This record gives sequence, structure tokens and C-alpha cells, in this order.
Amino acid sequence: MTRLLVHRATPCALAFAMSASAAFAHPHVFIDGGVNFVVGPGHELEAIEVTWLYDEFETLYMLASHGMDLNAQGALDEADRQELVRRLSDWPADFDGSAHLTSRGEAIALDWPQNLDAELVDGRLQLTFDRILQDPIKMTEHAVEAAFFERTYFFDFTVTNTPEIRGLATGCTAEIIPFDPTAQDKALLDVLAKLSREETSDIENVGGFFADRIVVRCD
Amino acid sequence: MRLVVLFCLILAALVAISMAVDFDAVARWAAGHQRGFQNQMAGAVRALRTGDPGALFTLLFAAASYGFVHAVGPGHGKALIGGVGLGSSVSTARLLVISLVSSLLQAFWAILLIYGGFALVEISARRMTTLAEDVLAPASYIAIASIGVILVWRGGRSLWREREALGLQKADHDHDHDHDHCGCHAHGPAPNDVAQLTSFRDAFVLVASIAIRPCTGAIFLLVIAWQMDIRTAGAAAVIVMGLGTAVFTSLVAVSTVTARRMSLVPVAKLLVVSQVLPVLQILAGGLIVWGSLTMLELAG
Repeated sequence: MTRLLVHRATPCALAFAMSASAAFAHPHVFIDGGVNFVVGPGHELEAIEVTWLYDEFETLYMLASHGMDLNAQGALDEADRQELVRRLSDWPADFDGSAHLTSRGEAIALDWPQNLDAELVDGRLQLTFDRILQDPIKMTEHAVEAAFFERTYFFDFTVTNTPEIRGLATGCTAEIIPFDPTAQDKALLDVLAKLSREETSDIENVGGFFADRIVVRCD
Repeated sequence: MRLVVLFCLILAALVAISMAVDFDAVARWAAGHQRGFQNQMAGAVRALRTGDPGALFTLLFAAASYGFVHAVGPGHGKALIGGVGLGSSVSTARLLVISLVSSLLQAFWAILLIYGGFALVEISARRMTTLAEDVLAPASYIAIASIGVILVWRGGRSLWREREALGLQKADHDHDHDHDHCGCHAHGPAPNDVAQLTSFRDAFVLVASIAIRPCTGAIFLLVIAWQMDIRTAGAAAVIVMGLGTAVFTSLVAVSTVTARRMSLVPVAKLLVVSQVLPVLQILAGGLIVWGSLTMLELAG
């Protein structure tokens, strides 16, 4: 089996950002997934666990562009899987998180992603990683909102996993608020659909307009 | 004056068509189906890897369907075919052949580029994709824009000759004002002189400008097929994908040639036919230039 030469120096930014463009339009990569919430003493949110699930075609293209192959069972060999984890753990400098936390409209700072894991689930590449809050935040007085998006809308994230609340979760609830496009959103989506792979919209945080959101509250 | 009226009539018709069709909805529909067929192709590739030969049919079917819906979405090939169908006196049969050959050559070129690149220089998948997007796509848009310029130029030249011929004729027949001049166009350049695309050179330029830029879906599939060691199946799927694209561009070819013929029937009663084709040609050429330069700007 000929192995492709892979640009090892290329940051994973490219693996994520430039891998496959399904259509000649924004968004280019579609990712399902979700966010889990880790709650500590005093109903403080301490960390989030993020899950990304690539679609099947994107998965194969990502594997191929990393010089990897499926085995005879249609799965990924353990050595390849570990190599993939190693490579994807090198997060690009402009990584934007995909789960944007706010409380009362204020952004909540998160540490760099940790504990990245990768596996194939029914032919789809699933990535999971943790992000720890720099300062844990109480969720009793004000709800915390996690918006699932990438700011340039190159990626279209959709919350498909039911959010779980881990740790001292008694009295806490998480509610998904799916993106419900207004007529204005639809018009903007049509404009974005005309952008090519190399382009980004001038509108700051445009991805945020189309985000599914999860609202977490504790009593 | 009559020319101005004609320009206005055709432009009004184009505006009416563009308002009647919700192109954004069509683009969304096409994009959704492209994703679906891509994932179907991915499932078939996995099944082939696990030794299920029946998956080849699924792969070919999904690839052909992908090629068709991909051609429905935003793209340049069909715009060029449509523009030529409207703006030249090319026959339906000839334009159908051009559609088919350009789609197939586009597929073969993608195979040559990707497999050749991997086999000969071990180029990385990412650089291959970048090459297609950064170099070949703009090259294709520029080639297509220049065809638009050629159409405009030929149309303009025909009109100019027509004016000169009419002017000469007017001088000749000054003594006989009662004579009906409707037959005058026979003395000007015949519609047949207008880009008929009968020359091999014209057809070659058309085909090459479309085929030079491989479709991204084909590139991704070939990269996957090479790496997953199902290279023959991958190449076959890309050729079938080209046939799927050809089906849609053929529909565009037939409908634009028909539209041109229908538009000529009523207009011919009012105007000299030899003036109509050049006008259509200038408009179609202008649209092709505008469309391809927009794509070039987007890609750049």
C-alpha cells in the first residue's frame, strides 16, 4: 500500500479547516455533535466536553489526506487511530472552539482543548475533547449558554447529541434551542452560499447567527 | 433603433426568467443532495474495502447522481454551454456532443491529474486539491471568459458588416424607394457566418475550457480511492460522475438551442434575421464574461 506523503508540518488547522469542501459554498464542512457540562460544588460550571462527528465522506477524505486507510473490517487500525489523535491534538493557533460559552451575554474564557480522542463511529470520525473554564462560574443565579458554531461559518455545526450534565448535577437542566432561521437569516445564508472555500465573510462572527444553543440552569 | 428595442426585449426576457426562478432554492436543493450522494459514495467505498463487490453498483449510482446534482448547482460549465446555445447558431446535435465530450474529458483529466500526481511525484492530497482550486479553476474561468469575449467580438463584427452592407445597398437602390427591402439580409453576412462552431478549433477551445478544471467532488473521491486501494472502482465512478454531469449540461444545451430558435421566429417578422443573431451573441457573450469573471473573483 503506497502511503501518501503528508505534510507533517502543516498545522491541523488545515486538516480541520481545509479538508473537504462538499459544495462550492459556505458552509463547506458539516459537523454534528454536542456539548456536555461538568458541574462542581456550589453548582459551578467547571468544564465542558465537546463532541464533533464528521460526515462519512469528509471522514474518508480526512483519513486519506493523512495517508491512512481503512482495514478489512472497514475500521481504523489502532496504530493509525493513535497517530491521528497525535496529529489532531496539535490545535491550530486560530482555533475557535466551536462551543462558545456566555453568561448574561458575557463571554466565558476557556482553556485550550485537552484530552483529544478520535474514533470511527459507523463510518464517521468522532472527535471528543475537554475545555476547562479559566474561572468556574455559578449557574444558580444566571443561566449559562453554549452556542455551537464556528465564527466564519466554514463549518456548520449542529447539536445532535443530548447534552449531559456530569458531576454535581442535581437541580441542573440543559435545554437545546435549535437555530430557527428568520427571513433575514435566510437571506444572509443565501449570500454566504455564494462564497468559495478561500473566502470568509466580512461579517464578524457570522457563524454565530446560525448557531444551535444549549442553555444550562441550576436551581 | 430597432437594435436598441431588440436588446431591451431580450434583457427584459432574461430578467423575467431570473425573477421567476428561485435560484437560491435550486442551489440549496442541489447542495443538500450532493451531501447525500457523497455520503452514499463513502458508504460504498467502505463496503468495497470490506470485500462486498455489490457495493460497486452503489458507488457508480451515487457517483452518477452526484454528477447530475453537482451540475445543477453553481458552476461554470453549463453557463458556457447555455451561452453558446443561445448566442451562436450551433446545432443541437453538435452542442450535445460538446457537452458529453467536455464532461468526459473533465473526468479523464481529473483521473490523470490525481492518480498521475500520486504515482509519479507522490504529491500530497492537500497540495493536489490546492492546485485544482488555486490554479486550474482560475485558468478555466479565464478561458471561459475569453470565449465570451470572442462571442461578443464576432457578434459586433457581424453587426458592423451588416450595417455596411445595408448602407451600400441603400445607395444602390436609392432610385427605387417602393421596393420592399426585406430580403436585404441576404446581401449581408448570412446567419451561417456567425459563430457556428463548425470548426474543430472552436469546439476544442470550448471543451478544453470546461475540462481543464476538475470537479472537486471527483478530486476528493479519487484521493480517497487511491488511498483506500480501490483505484479502478474510483476511476470508474469518476467517469460515471462525468456522464451524470453530461446529462444535465445536455438538458441545458437542448433547451437553450430551442429557446434561441423560438425567440427567432417572432422576432424575424419584425427584424432582419441577420441582426438578431449577432445581438443574441453579444448578450450571451457578455453574460459569459460577466459570469466567469464573477467566479474568478470569488475563487481568487
